[in-house]
Amino acid sequence: MARVTTGITSSHIPALGAALQTGTSQNEYWGPVFKGYQPIMDWIYGDDNMPDVIVLVYNDHATAFDMNVIPTFSIGCAEKFEPADEGWGPRPVPDVIGHPDLAWHIAQSLILDDFDMCIFNDMKVDHGCTVPLSMIFGEPDEWPCKVIPFPVNVVTYPPPSGARCFALGDSIKAAVESFPEDLNVHVWGTGGMSHQLQGPRAGLINKEFDLNFIDKLINDPETLSKMPHIEYLRESGSEGIELVMWLIMRGALGDKVKDLYTFYHIPASNTALGALLLQPEDIAKEPLDPRVVHSGHSLEPAE
Amino acid sequence: MTEKKKERINIHEYLAEFDDIPGTRVFTAQRARKGYWLNQFAMSLMKEENRQKFKEDNAAYLEDWNLTDAQKKAVLARDYNAMIDEGGNVYFLSKLFSADGQSFQKAAGSMTGMTEQEYAEMMIAGGRSPEGVRSKKGGY
Repeated sequence: MARVTTGITSSHIPALGAALQTGTSQNEYWGPVFKGYQPIMDWIYGDDNMPDVIVLVYNDHATAFDMNVIPTFSIGCAEKFEPADEGWGPRPVPDVIGHPDLAWHIAQSLILDDFDMCIFNDMKVDHGCTVPLSMIFGEPDEWPCKVIPFPVNVVTYPPPSGARCFALGDSIKAAVESFPEDLNVHVWGTGGMSHQLQGPRAGLINKEFDLNFIDKLINDPETLSKMPHIEYLRESGSEGIELVMWLIMRGALGDKVKDLYTFYHIPASNTALGALLLQPEDIAKEPLDPRVVHSGHSLEPAE
Repeated sequence: MTEKKKERINIHEYLAEFDDIPGTRVFTAQRARKGYWLNQFAMSLMKEENRQKFKEDNAAYLEDWNLTDAQKKAVLARDYNAMIDEGGNVYFLSKLFSADGQSFQKAAGSMTGMTEQEYAEMMIAGGRSPEGVRSKKGGY
């Protein structure tokens, strides 16, 4: 049977893609960010860790969905998804190759489990989906696995609650486990961490909130899932609400997880950036060394 | 029905709280309705041929989009705070500043009253602290 073996979280800001495209990923500004991701890349390419399929939870940034259609939870069921032109030409990255059998199976299972999904076929994917792939896989000619895009509305209010996202993750886990084929499935939650991109309060960063969020996500996600939207908005900025998507990833991993790797960095353009590598406790491999890396402003060095 | 009713969020309280956050306009349904055409105009800039037409003559291009005078004025001035006041959403508006060849950091910084340089330095120094800008009423 298929199994959710791993959860990864990642920032998806477009500036990371731009850094790769302009060859600045190793400069003084971006170098520490890409260095912080390197252990995840090394891990995933090594030792049988490559997934067959990633369920990639992200938000569309007014790309595939404009103001005409605003689906709360949707799933891409097509054979492939091309990178979108977001105003500066499409990102020069490979097409995202889907897994229609598993995607349709998940869609059907979720609906039977009371999550009334929107199903998409013809859909372009934006930086929310492709930047995490670039950060974890680098710049290959083809992505090394199949990807099921899973967009969540966190743009037009109200987005789904944290509790709903956490429960959705649990339903994705059950859906994957009822798929007959033997597949290694990852669920990735992207976006975050604290950031605000608009208004006089733009530039907000809340390190204490972010580090506490990471700790709770690992150890007490159920309590974390009850945090109301207003607290995300006040504490982590208007765009920090993207963090509800991390709860979908966490819900898909079951009760207990082991944190193999945590990376946190301030700043990446307007944002605080977080990248985690988690596995269900019963099948978890050894943590990476070092297990925690913090970099950037006002952060203690890695343990 | 003997089953206990689920606890529901009071929508009026939920929405009212958003106005208590300093320097922030949450993209509520009310704003989404007000900014519908402004945001749809911005979306149109995802196509290269539209970007070209827009670059040739900003004002003429805007005539096709059913915008209010205040929205047109805000776009022509590239006043992102004013665009957000008029119902714009930053992810939609990103198509506009991308078409202008401007970064997200520059556009976001332009809304703070800081210079580009000051804003970039604030970010490198750890960003804007949440102290004092979480709540207008609470002042924390």
